[in-house]
Amino acid sequence: MNPSAFNSTVVPSPGGHSTSQPVHASAQAMPPPQSEILRITFFAGMAEAVGRRHLDMPWTGGSVEQLRAMLAAECPVIAPLLARSAVALAGVYAADQTVVPAGADVAIIPPVSGG
Amino acid sequence: MGIPHSNGDDFNCYRRRDGGNHEPLFVREPIDTQRVLAAVANDAAGANVLFVGTARGITDGVLTSGLEYEAHESMAADNLIQLRAEAVSRFSLAACAVVHRLGKIAVGEASIAIAVSGPHRHAAWRAAEWLMEQIKKQTPIWKCEYRPDGQREWSHPGSMPVGCASEEHEP
Repeated sequence: MNPSAFNSTVVPSPGGHSTSQPVHASAQAMPPPQSEILRITFFAGMAEAVGRRHLDMPWTGGSVEQLRAMLAAECPVIAPLLARSAVALAGVYAADQTVVPAGADVAIIPPVSGG
Repeated sequence: MGIPHSNGDDFNCYRRRDGGNHEPLFVREPIDTQRVLAAVANDAAGANVLFVGTARGITDGVLTSGLEYEAHESMAADNLIQLRAEAVSRFSLAACAVVHRLGKIAVGEASIAIAVSGPHRHAAWRAAEWLMEQIKKQTPIWKCEYRPDGQREWSHPGSMPVGCASEEHEP
């Protein structure tokens, strides 16, 4: 991705930068985001493509679909995987028409591969 | 590029208990498979099935030196608890336990253990298979494959997780 697109709003991911390190933080455990800010959490290949676990970005309101479009425009490298990913708000899957409130805890859930 | 783990203060998710099942849902150490099997022991059961998924050293001719798993732990815990309950109901089980390992694992080590017990073997076999299929389709857990040359790749097969809102709204 182009980090400069988010430079003014990115909150550095806590806890170092190695997947081999112990766990340090989660979307649920992070301090509450300020108003008008979305905290977006990425996982697995999406986090690797973005280059960070968490991203705080300004948000003036809109739907999940609009959030998808904004992320894809700001970070084209993730667009193909983003199109195959689900969006969760506060741990619950959200449809594209769902309104994303400012301050929401957003998780991008790419296709799963557990087991 | 290394990314910090997503969940740390979520450690309680590892230890979530419910409905009489006292096994953790996630562990970062080797899974004690016999303990998982013992967790479903029940006087009403005539069949006990234990499935253990292990890390392959080769897939389609490509060598794998190890795996790494990560999860959205709170969502994955909710999903696993829901699947366990559904399995108990759908297959009339006596008990059901699922333990998934997270973090790095070596070839040959267990990544997941599923144990079920029930009155009869047919339902128990089917329940274990059904649970594994559902977990692979919908539980927000991801696998990264490490190659002997140091390369690694996260696995994101198919489309959105089954059961998510967007997937359900697709035509």
